[in-house]
Amino acid sequence: MPQSEHLSKQYDQDLDAIRSRVLEMGGLVESQIQTALDAYASGNAALVDRVIEEDERVNGFEVGIDDACIHIVARRQPAAVDLRMIMAIGKIVTDLERMGDEAEKIARMTRQLYESNQMPPPKFVDVRHVANVALSMLHRALDAFARSDAAEAARVVKEDAAIDAEFLAILRQLITFMMEEPRIIGRAIGVVWIAKAVERIGDHAKNIAEQVIYIVKGADVRHTDMANVERTALG
Amino acid sequence: MEPLVLRTLLVLLAAATASLAVSALLGAGSGWAVFACVVVVLLSHHLRQLRALRAWLQGADRGAVPEDDGLWGDVFEALYRRERDAAQREQELALTLTRFRETVQAFPDGVVVLDAANQIVWGNVAAERHFDLDFSTDAGHPIANLVRQPDFVSYLASGDYARRLRLRLPRGETTLSVTLIPFGESQKLLHSRDVTQAERVEAVRRDFVANVSHELRTPLTVLVGFLETVRELKLDPSQRRDYINLMETQALRMRRIVEDLLTLSALESAPPAPTDERIVISRLLERMRAETDVLSAGRHQVVLEVRGQFDLLGAESEIASAFSNLASNAVRYTPKGGEVRLIWEATEQGAALTVADTGIGIQPEHIPRLTERFYRVDRSRSRETGGTGLGLAIVKHALTRHDATLEIESTPGAGSRFIARFPAQRLVPAAPMPATAVADGDSQLMRNEAG
Repeated sequence: MPQSEHLSKQYDQDLDAIRSRVLEMGGLVESQIQTALDAYASGNAALVDRVIEEDERVNGFEVGIDDACIHIVARRQPAAVDLRMIMAIGKIVTDLERMGDEAEKIARMTRQLYESNQMPPPKFVDVRHVANVALSMLHRALDAFARSDAAEAARVVKEDAAIDAEFLAILRQLITFMMEEPRIIGRAIGVVWIAKAVERIGDHAKNIAEQVIYIVKGADVRHTDMANVERTALG
Repeated sequence: MEPLVLRTLLVLLAAATASLAVSALLGAGSGWAVFACVVVVLLSHHLRQLRALRAWLQGADRGAVPEDDGLWGDVFEALYRRERDAAQREQELALTLTRFRETVQAFPDGVVVLDAANQIVWGNVAAERHFDLDFSTDAGHPIANLVRQPDFVSYLASGDYARRLRLRLPRGETTLSVTLIPFGESQKLLHSRDVTQAERVEAVRRDFVANVSHELRTPLTVLVGFLETVRELKLDPSQRRDYINLMETQALRMRRIVEDLLTLSALESAPPAPTDERIVISRLLERMRAETDVLSAGRHQVVLEVRGQFDLLGAESEIASAFSNLASNAVRYTPKGGEVRLIWEATEQGAALTVADTGIGIQPEHIPRLTERFYRVDRSRSRETGGTGLGLAIVKHALTRHDATLEIESTPGAGSRFIARFPAQRLVPAAPMPATAVADGDSQLMRNEAG
């Protein structure tokens, strides 16, 4: 969707193409995280391998998109909303790449959990639930980016607090388990790692949503309170 | 000659004749003046009508076509007719378009129209639901920006749409089957169908065959093993008896599985449950309580509460089998000292039988699958306690045949409630019971109140 009519149609097309590539990368990361969570739920080793392989592609996207951004800055000297978009994309891509790394972490930890033990890891429903919330945050942040929807982005930012709270709840729950049953400490620590990775995914989704607000509204809402984020996004 | 020209010429001829007459009477100057006046009047009339026409053509609302009796009348008349036909055609076209859109909207499958650049043009409600889109605002976006699954993106880019693509949605457990159909000038139709249910049924069917074989093979293997032992080894009578007892246990287990399978298949193929046979619920439940007591062997407190004064219409054997399956589950999954409560009561929609226990409970992720054949939360435990894995499948079938539903509520560690809800049309007021039964019922109620 063109933000504005430029004299050069090619310029508009270049901007749209970059946006589409970011979203394609986002889709890949979404599916990578989903696969990692499926691997954790099922212990399927093939899924673990797929997550790790996909990370190469995600990295490739990061390099390619950064390069395209630099080209457009050099050739077109973008201004206003276009400049904000190019700058924000640079950051969004970094967040996406980190999320890919977190997915890979979940996959590797899953493999370790299933390999070191004949028994499957304890099935803590909470981890899957919080993971679904994080995944939905990412999905909606990317939707907000595609639609330039600042209001939706603000809702995503707001949701991150819930994930942080749930992470702490999981941690407390695991600590209780570990005190009751020291034999499961090894496995429980593995689950803590996975929960932490999920929590980080939520943080990165929040960062992306903040960048969307920056693109649409031109105001930087990072490190400000929720009231300011909502006022900016809806104003 | 053209009537338009003819009429103009006639007017001019009349003016010329009049002018000649005037010039003969009053002199040439007056004649010319009259002729000029007529020409000026004629010209100004034409100009006025021309201006009206221009005003009408440029007008925003295109109201009524101007009218005139003279020369312009014919022109305006033709224009009016053309305008009217066009309006009619436009209306018909709009109607056809509306009907077409309504048809597509009513389509249960998702339909999205994409342009040459794979941008969203338009789609129906089902597609909005499938892909989480809103066409009022999402038109013009490239579809791959909003439907981002890598499988879909590469399918879209591949240009080869011969096969359908299975697409799992990012949220929830929905699976779509999608395909792209090129049409017109490089446009595409994205067609999506929700196949979640179909896939689940297919998976259940596949699992069923594997499960039946597995369930029957396990006791058979044990049986054959003991048979060999008994034949090959010299055993003293007591050992021999032990082995034969174990073999009998396994054989009985196999028989139970086969019996349950037969019950299930009978339920599936039987005609609908009768609606004119009364099941005296209080008697049935009293019998069930007694059976449950026997099964529990004093390890649990079994409580019966008959609060609703209704009897049920249907097949007694099926309902009895469903209820006793629920009760025996409650006993098997409740630790010693727990409580099993059977409650028959009126509800808003009819009546419900609740079997509540204080047992080990069920993790929420298992609940939707409990009524699948051979689905087990904990395989070893279920076999240990004599379950065939078919009990709840039988319950569900028997209840469905009586228009009833099964609801399961459970808190892990605290207990479960299995609620069979019967609709009003399956109920009749309770039959007057023989004196002894009433007394029994009263004492039952009193005992409950006392407890």
